[in-house]
Amino acid sequence: MQMVDFEFRNEIIKEDFSLNYCYQCGTCSSACPVAFITSGEYNPRKIIEESLLGLKELLIKDQKPNVWLCCTCQMCVEECPQNVFLTEIFEKIKNKIVQLGEPYPEAFKVQAKAVIENALAISLTPPITRRREQLGLPRIEFADINEIKKLLGATEFEKKIKLNGGK
Amino acid sequence: MSYNYFLGCVIPGRLPFLEASVRKAFDKIGVNVGDQAKCSCCPDPTGAAQLDHESFLVLGARNLCLFEESNNNVLSLCSGCTETLKTVKFILDKDKEKKKDINSKLKLVGKNYKGNVEIKHFAQVLYENLEKIKEKVKKPLKDLKVAGHPGCHYLRPSEIMNWDDPLNPETLDRLIEAIGADPIDYSLKNDCCGNPLEKSDKDISLSMLESKLQSMKEAGADCITVVCPACYQQFDFNQREINKKKNTDYNFPVFYITELIAVALGIDTEELGLNFHRIKVSNILEKIA
Repeated sequence: MQMVDFEFRNEIIKEDFSLNYCYQCGTCSSACPVAFITSGEYNPRKIIEESLLGLKELLIKDQKPNVWLCCTCQMCVEECPQNVFLTEIFEKIKNKIVQLGEPYPEAFKVQAKAVIENALAISLTPPITRRREQLGLPRIEFADINEIKKLLGATEFEKKIKLNGGK
Repeated sequence: MSYNYFLGCVIPGRLPFLEASVRKAFDKIGVNVGDQAKCSCCPDPTGAAQLDHESFLVLGARNLCLFEESNNNVLSLCSGCTETLKTVKFILDKDKEKKKDINSKLKLVGKNYKGNVEIKHFAQVLYENLEKIKEKVKKPLKDLKVAGHPGCHYLRPSEIMNWDDPLNPETLDRLIEAIGADPIDYSLKNDCCGNPLEKSDKDISLSMLESKLQSMKEAGADCITVVCPACYQQFDFNQREINKKKNTDYNFPVFYITELIAVALGIDTEELGLNFHRIKVSNILEKIA
């Protein structure tokens, strides 16, 4: 049985008060291209309902609906008659999934690792550097990796995202 | 107003020919843009932000500090980067506590975020120079039917992006018109290309792309134009994948709007590296020759 977790609900409301404004009209789901493609299996209204009720297990453990399927297009945010910041609330839920050590799609971890190691999500390879020269593009200097490591150390990024597995 | 480029990761690291088209187009129009200082990943609003909001704010604010130090505003080549930098600014300028907290971390690397730079998407700056572009067109792209894909992060969330109509955008179509081409209407113009979902569900990502392609086809498009490298990759790299899976025959050449502008302004197509596109653009070049 799903238990209502008021603390969890309050945590989300503390992060984004707009959650409280939702009256479950479903405009978000009718504006959502992913809900359309998945015939409603992905359903933003449902995620907001579960957040309002504090159904932490469903959202965080079972991930039903799967909040990682939000494509961040923000159509729901634009269409919502109550100005609920759905995409931002979903971001907070995803942050919680990550911090609590529940599974999340591997590609996110791969990107995070690249940023931790090289300060960039995509680094310049030798063939691309040659192509840049061929196109007459200037040499670009990117961030000093030590600076990035210091900052991400201060936010405990590696620990939060469980880069090396574990809870 | 003076600008420095913010290049992001995808364009310099994977699609340098798009960068070439942006630089050449701005040079030709006569907008001077300097180069970025030592920036990092923006970071990705669809990636790192979803993992840890605090790290997203810190890295974004560090990038903004570099522009503050150089006394230049941001001219971003990518819609995702634009959204990230605008969001970070929006949050830190509004929330003094958060700004204080982020600045206490930035102090570790000798930086301090103040909040005095503006951030603009390159297509916004192009739009602000619409008349100049019209004056400088040498080779109007007559009879070319272009499906403009504005994409999501160019427009939304409108409270933060504060640019164009988030549900009925028109700036991209005005740019297409300015170079003599024909911006077509198609039913799914406002939909997401599906690229961000490549990280969590490739099948859904491709289905979203296929819906868009079908809608463009029904409207009779000759080619597609975009203003974001993520959308560019989705359209240029994945049409073949859909064809393989679904036995379809999509073959739309995909252009950055600056590539079309550069061609219309008379820049040599070889200088633009159009040969690096996955879907060949030669039929379009013949059509407008």
